[in-house]
Order: sequence, then C-alpha cells, then structure tokens
Amino acid sequence: MSVVRPTPVLAAQRLSKSFGDGASRRFALRDVSMTLYSGQLALLMGPSGSGKSTLLAVLSGLLKPESGSVFVTEDGIQTDLWQLSDGQMEKFRLRHTGFIFQGYNLFPALSAIQQLEIVLKWGTGLGDSAANGRAKDMLNRLGLDAQKYKKPAQLSGGEKQRVAIGRALVKDPTFIFADEPTSALDWENGQRVVELLRAAAHARGASIFVVSHDERMRPFADIIYHLDDGHLTVEQNPVPLSAAGPSYPSEVTR
Amino acid sequence: MSYALQTLWHDKARYAAGVGAVAFSAILIVLQVGLLLGLFETTSVPVDHTSADLWVGSQDVRSVDLGVQIPINQHMPRLTEKKGLIGQPEVYLAMYANLTRSDGGMERCFVLGSSLEPDAAGAPDVLPDELRGALSLPNSIVVDESELGRLHLKGLGDTAKISGIEVTLVGTVKGMKSLAAPWVLCSETTARKLLAGFIQPDHCTYLLARAESPQRAKEIVAELRAEYPEMSVYTTDEFSFSCRWYWLTRTKAGIAIGYAALLGLMVGAVITAQTLYAATMASAKEFATLLALGIPRRKIYGLVIAQSWWVGVFGVFAAMPVVWMLAQAAAAGGAKVVLRWEVMTGAAAITIGTALFSGLFALRSVRKIEPMSLLR
Repeated sequence: MSVVRPTPVLAAQRLSKSFGDGASRRFALRDVSMTLYSGQLALLMGPSGSGKSTLLAVLSGLLKPESGSVFVTEDGIQTDLWQLSDGQMEKFRLRHTGFIFQGYNLFPALSAIQQLEIVLKWGTGLGDSAANGRAKDMLNRLGLDAQKYKKPAQLSGGEKQRVAIGRALVKDPTFIFADEPTSALDWENGQRVVELLRAAAHARGASIFVVSHDERMRPFADIIYHLDDGHLTVEQNPVPLSAAGPSYPSEVTR
Repeated sequence: MSYALQTLWHDKARYAAGVGAVAFSAILIVLQVGLLLGLFETTSVPVDHTSADLWVGSQDVRSVDLGVQIPINQHMPRLTEKKGLIGQPEVYLAMYANLTRSDGGMERCFVLGSSLEPDAAGAPDVLPDELRGALSLPNSIVVDESELGRLHLKGLGDTAKISGIEVTLVGTVKGMKSLAAPWVLCSETTARKLLAGFIQPDHCTYLLARAESPQRAKEIVAELRAEYPEMSVYTTDEFSFSCRWYWLTRTKAGIAIGYAALLGLMVGAVITAQTLYAATMASAKEFATLLALGIPRRKIYGLVIAQSWWVGVFGVFAAMPVVWMLAQAAAAGGAKVVLRWEVMTGAAAITIGTALFSGLFALRSVRKIEPMSLLR
C-alpha cells in the first residue's frame, strides 16, 4: 500500500450561513473555519439541526455561504470555490467531488453496474466499454461482483449503500462528501461502509468528509469535528497516516 | 437498451397513461380524417364510377351535382375536333329532381342519365349487363340498396314518381351511396323525361369522352381550358377531387374535424406531460444525486426527451391495431373509413411531435431538482 502524505486540500475560512429573517433568523454556521486533508477521513458530529448538513453543502459547492470562503488547492493552485461561475462549479463537482447520501438514491430501473456507468458516460464522456470496465472494476473492489447486474430491488440495504459508494468513487474524486451514510444500516453493514470510505481515503489520497451522529464511527476518523449551534470545534488533531491503527480492506486499494 | 427505454419498460404502469394518451390522439385523428374522407368520397361517386377520361360542363362547375345545362351543339364540336379521343363524346344528364314517395311524401333525388351501351363512358360500372338491359325500358330506375327505405321502395317493380312521372325500380346496386339526395340511375332517354323541366332537349349537363392515354387527356384538358374559358373541363381524377374538395371546404367539415383532432391532441399532450412530469419527479432524488456529482443538467433533459419520444412511438404502435379494428367496425356499420398512408404517417408524426412537446413541458420538473434537497 502506498503512503499518501496528508496535505491540506480544502480550507474553509470564516463561513457563515443563516436561515430565516428577523426574529426567526437562525444561524447554521457562525464563523466556521476548518481544513480538510488528503488521505484522511474527517468526521463531523453534532446534534440534529446543528448545521452539519449545511456545512457539508457549503464545502461541497452545493450551497453558497453568506460570508466566508472555501479555498480548494489543486496542483499548488488555490481556487476560491464560491467565486466560480455556475458552469465552473458544475465542472468542479464533476471532476473533484463524490457524494453519498442518507438515502441510496439509485435508479430503480438500472442495474448496479449501470448506476456507475451512467456517471462515467454522462459525466466524463467515457465510451461504453471503458465505462463498463471501470464500473465492473469498482464493483469488484466493493465486493459486489455477484450483484453487478441486479437492480436495487434485488439488493440488501448494505449492498445498495455500497453501490452508492461505488457511484461516488468511480470517477476517482478528490473529495467525498457523505451525509449520514450509515443511518439506514445495521452496525455490521455500517461498519463495512465506513471501512470502505476510510480505505478509499488512505489508499487513494482522497479527502473524505462524513457527517454523522453515530458515535460508533469515532474510531474510524482521522479527525473529528463537532458542530453545535453553528460553532465548530475540533476534538482531535489530524494524525499522521502512519499512526492510523487498524488495517483496511484490501478491495479498495488501487 | 437506452436508459430512457429501460426506465420506461421498468415502470410500465406509470408510463401507460402517457402511451394511452398518445394512442388516443392518434386514433382520434386517423379515424376522424378517415371518416371525413370516406364521407366526402360519396360526393364524387358518379364521377368515380364512370369510365370517362374527360368531363366538360358549365362554367366554373366545382362539383358534379352543381352543373347547369350546356348547349350540346355548341360544345360537342369543341371536343370532337380534338385528336386523341376514343369514339364519340357522350351526353350525360345530371340534375336534382323531386321524388314523390308511395306515401305521398317528397324527397329530393339526383337523376343521373347516361348511355347504357356496353362500352359507354358514362354508364356506372356498378351496373351489370342485365340491369343495363332493364334500364333501357322506359321510366325505369336503379338506386343504391341503402336508399330503399328512405324512398319508401320495398323491392323490384315498386314505383314512385319523379317530376310527376311514374318510375319503376328495376334493380339496386351497391357502392352508390349519397351524402344527401339519393343518386337515381337511369337511361339518357328516361332522364330527359324526368328532367324535362330543367334541361332543354338540345342541352345536357356534361359531355364525357375517353382519350387514348391519361397523358393525352391532360393535354386536351389544358388545350380546351385555354381555348374556352366559358366551360369547365376536367380529367376524371381532377373532377373527382374537385367534388370532394368543394364539399369539404364548403361545409367547413374539415375545420370541425380539425378542432376535434386538436382537442384530442391537447388531451393527449396534457396527459403525456403530466405522466412524464410525475415520472421525473418520482426520480428527483436520483437525478439530484447525479447533479450533485456534477452531471450536466442537459443530460437529464435529454433523458426526459428520449422518454417522451418512446412514449410517442409506443403510443402510435398501440394505436395501429385499434384504428384497424375501429375502421372495420365502422365499415360493418355502413360508415367508410379511408385509411390513407399519408393520413396515417401524418397522424403518427403529429402525435409523436406532441409527445416530444409534452416532454419539453415536463422539463420544468427537472429545472426544479436541486442537489441541496438531498441534505435537508
């Protein structure tokens, strides 16, 4: 396994975001600053309604903050995410981001492999056979070889979430944003999903940002943030990759 | 299989409403136009059932039932001087008359009198030799079998009066149905008597002739039109079309059918749009995920448009057997439905076009989809 040195790839500075007007105005983010590193899994915890999903949306280019900046570093060049045009933002997300949501959001009519192919063909313009090859390879690594031609209705919850992870990883993104990825799963399946995400971070040098209120995820995080009433605190400093404890499933290793 | 087609197939029940709506529009258009064409075919029945190539009539006559008398001596030489005709031009009498039924009631009828010789250009082709023989008896007539009830004629040998002269039914034919006044077939001699009050002895309604070739017929028509603008000259095909077109436009029936078809299309379009809209909204989360991943929105537009195309295509295919069955049923009920390929192709194009338009309408559902919705 190659070792990827954690380097800062995303820096959020003084982000603020509120909802509502006047007396009903509620701050989801208050002056939030944070950094995401390559090859690390960052866990954001906090009670419901604490602004976790808002922070994920702002960092991933889905929701514009009222103030503050999100700087993304690529090949030594820093880009202010929220200064990009809509078209540039779409391209940024296409090239750099993968998403895993609470629901699996898989097309009922399409097989597991097609859920991945559609991203490659529509997003990156890959041809049929190239997309098929990459999708097959990814499902293999997620242990879904036998399920690749099954439709969502024929898959278990854990398998569906793994297909959703495959869809997020297949275009090899720099950032993977996951919103409560284990909430619909039992812990056995949930643990497998987290292990896969952590392995993706460590093996690919991707930066994984997971929003969850599941305490059992703590041991898998390289860094844990806590958000409460819009205020962000860090619970644990980034740890060097070499110090990261448990071994990772080999199937996600490239 | 494309993603659009696969989605359609997977969710057949959902898309069935759209497919049904498109099929409904296609059926409505084809049957309405088919019935209309079938209906107005009856206006040119006398023309269609002769073996003439050329028709000469009064100035500006547009339909066979609108001819006024023309002087034979003046018009006949204009025809006979033309080269390329076969045999002598024939006299043809055609005019409305009053028929008095056996119960004393009156009906308008349309008397058609022609030569009944075996090779006569004007003799209707539906008349077999024995009926031609029977019609050579004075004051004998033949009508379409569907007109018997209306004219209170019970069968052969039954009588009625036309222009006050007693006429005897000597036979019936099929395929000479009329739109309004029944066609009454008889010999030229009988017609002269029945129409004596309307057509002078040295006049007739039309002169009919045969030409060596269809091409020659067209040339003679062009020459006569140029030389004698005060008379109407047609090839048989032109006159047949002119009759139908006259009544189609005169009655504005085409407009009525057009509105009915438009209504059908609108109903089809609304249901199809609604179906596609609902189907797209049902997959909103999946589409939102793709948008979050940076898949351009136009790809999703393309999918919805492709779905609308397939809904249109399936609708047209679903309509085909239904159209055929309904046309057969209409024929069994006595209404002719003319299924011309131009009409069918046109209806298919219009309905698929409408389905595509509905797809464009359903795109507003895609515009509403935001990845942010997945995080709330």
